[in-house]
Amino acid sequence: MVTEKKEELRITDKEEQLKIIGMHCATCVMSVSKSLKSVSGVKDAEVNLATGSAKVILSGNVRLKELVKAVRKAGYDVATEKFTVKLNVNPEEMPKIERKFENVKGVVDVKSNPGLGIVSVEYNLESTTPEEILKEAGVKGEIINEQRSERSVLYEDFYDLLKRLVIGITFTPLTYLFPFFLGILLSIPVQFYSGLRFHKGAYRALKNRTTNMDVLVSLASNILWFSGIFLHSTFYADASLLITFILVGKTLEAYIKAKMSSEIRIEPYKATLKDGRVVNSNELKVGDIIIVRTGERIPADGIIESGEGEVNEAILTGEQKPVLKRKGDNVLAGGILVNGYLEIYVTRNWDRSYIIQVIESVRGAYNARVSIQNLVDKVSSVFVPIVITLSALTFLVWKFVLGYNLYSSLLFSVAVLAAACPCALGLASPMAMLVSVRRALKRGIIIRDGSILEEIRNVNVAVLDKTGTVTEGEYVIITKKEFINGAFDLATIAESRSIHPIAKAFHKIMNDGKVEQFEEFPGRGIYARVNGNDVIVGSKDFVKSNCDWNVEDEGDILICVNGRAGGIVNIRDKLRDDAKRVINYMRERGIRVIIATGDSSNYADEIGKELGVEVRKGLTPDDKAELVKELRENDNKVMFIGDGINDAIAMREADVGIAVSSGTDLAKSAGKVVINSLDDVIGLFEQAKLGVRKIKENLAWAFGYNTVIIPIAAGSFYPTIYLPPEYAALAMGFSSVIVSLWSLVPI
Amino acid sequence: MIIDPVCGMEVDEKSQYKTMYKGKVYYFCSSYCLKEFQKNPEEYLRGGPKGMPHGH
Repeated sequence: MVTEKKEELRITDKEEQLKIIGMHCATCVMSVSKSLKSVSGVKDAEVNLATGSAKVILSGNVRLKELVKAVRKAGYDVATEKFTVKLNVNPEEMPKIERKFENVKGVVDVKSNPGLGIVSVEYNLESTTPEEILKEAGVKGEIINEQRSERSVLYEDFYDLLKRLVIGITFTPLTYLFPFFLGILLSIPVQFYSGLRFHKGAYRALKNRTTNMDVLVSLASNILWFSGIFLHSTFYADASLLITFILVGKTLEAYIKAKMSSEIRIEPYKATLKDGRVVNSNELKVGDIIIVRTGERIPADGIIESGEGEVNEAILTGEQKPVLKRKGDNVLAGGILVNGYLEIYVTRNWDRSYIIQVIESVRGAYNARVSIQNLVDKVSSVFVPIVITLSALTFLVWKFVLGYNLYSSLLFSVAVLAAACPCALGLASPMAMLVSVRRALKRGIIIRDGSILEEIRNVNVAVLDKTGTVTEGEYVIITKKEFINGAFDLATIAESRSIHPIAKAFHKIMNDGKVEQFEEFPGRGIYARVNGNDVIVGSKDFVKSNCDWNVEDEGDILICVNGRAGGIVNIRDKLRDDAKRVINYMRERGIRVIIATGDSSNYADEIGKELGVEVRKGLTPDDKAELVKELRENDNKVMFIGDGINDAIAMREADVGIAVSSGTDLAKSAGKVVINSLDDVIGLFEQAKLGVRKIKENLAWAFGYNTVIIPIAAGSFYPTIYLPPEYAALAMGFSSVIVSLWSLVPI
Repeated sequence: MIIDPVCGMEVDEKSQYKTMYKGKVYYFCSSYCLKEFQKNPEEYLRGGPKGMPHGH
């Protein structure tokens, strides 16, 4: 009957309602509907323009994530929300918990951080709520919000463990000192209060049909405690010592986790308003004027209203050398005014400040998974049952094959339970990831997706944007020629509306005029109506296809006035100092380097020649994305390094997208990694190498530890080496600590 | 009001989907229409909008 019901459920169609963002016409409806229907398992999709929603009928086992991905790929978006939850589970249980969340209706994506016990869930607003998701998944946890920060939850966890440890330390020695009955009484607080976490954890795991470290600890301590009572032995005291020893390791581990989490958090700074009032930086409003004196930290993002001084922005850029800032310059919260006096006009709220954006981004990176983790997850899922079997075998061999007494056989088998540690396996990769991402941040490299640490090592093609990445991005006009008088002036006025680096070369020559209409075509050029004239300025192809170009001269930039050749301009841009070094470094790693640029001038070829790399010029942002796509289709692992905003599409298309940030708005940058200068690419490769090595070393520690300690605990080397259960437990607790600490060692 | 030359929908001048052809700016409702136009501008300029749907 039950089977029948299950069958029935499997074939029933499911329905999912999505809120689509960005649709404004019938074509959009067609595009969204087409992309949804292209996902295998989607039976039908009804997209409604008026309500901005889509009803999707699913016949197969389709992940909501696939639907969202399809909509996003078509250039639209799905309204989703995220929530973070702190779970009281062991790292090795995380994959199973993740799967539970993934199977709940309405869940788009799940990312977990086994290291911190935190899960972040992206869900469909239209079909569920965080509470419903937790209920459906059958998982108990605390939703983290502003009132209950991740840090406070982690510290609470640490204090809870500490409390239980103190009880353990207080009572355990007494259980050995006092005679049998009193000893048992004194062991009760340790066994059933200090050890309650493990018993509860074991019960929860078994109820969820999984196994974890708690099962081993609970089983080991309970076997000892109860057999102590029945066999009239001091095993109950050994059980107390076992729990206390495990708690030592667990408390230390919880402390490291809490400490790691709080280090990435930034408390609001103190800010002095111009009228002398001192407030917290999160109370500042846009438009406030604040005063910063020598030695003080800049409390908000803003523009210098008056004064000047040297600012150390190492916290944001990794660069220790202070930068001189004057009236009109941007300053960012977090920088330190080394010397000088500044009055700053606040331009951004604390929550939107650059430093908070960085922290938010980096937090996301912690949750990344590396490929080796799949193997670890598989091992973890069968680890505990195998250990329990080994423990039972140990007992049987010692008791019935080797003929030892009940006491000794029991001690060996319990020692096996107490020594094996799946926790270290679960912690190995996330801890190393956490440390690597943070270490990169200290160098000014913002890693927004930790998985790139692994991916970057396989990169064999690097596509680099030219302007602003390989070159300084500051164009200067070196020659100009006019075929129509005043054409250059008209072009200058038109370009004054553009923020493109080439346009800035024109800006340097001040000019007044009225721009009636303005249109920019990214990567190609601009059209403007200036003082009643139609002006087109841009690349050769763009201008020539829109103009009656009747002259032979060709420059880097063409100017067309009222449909006729107006003039030409030749431009130059300086190569960055670090470009050669970085490109050589990549070539030494066997990476093919291509410069992709929208610039169609001869200068692009010169740059290519100087650096000795391929050049693809005159490309629009779409062309660059197409190039990346093409390279990937030919089995290449492609890295794209470019400007954070203009090259967003190519960056998303690449395996590793790196944005060289020139702006201060991180949210706009599409790269998985954000760097301050091209030079940071070398740092990133080094960090990736170290990070992946750490993951491997941690796993070697964890696997190696279990391989060595389990046979010893089972008594294979008895009587030369022998491990009583309580000391096996101590070793178990410390294996996780070792893995955490080893992640922190910078070698 | 500006009309998308491919599907005939009304479009806003602020539309991010636009192109310049023979010195004139054209606006579109989506990247789909823009790409269709770029493939064969003359077909739409001479024959007018083809309406919905268009060969999806």
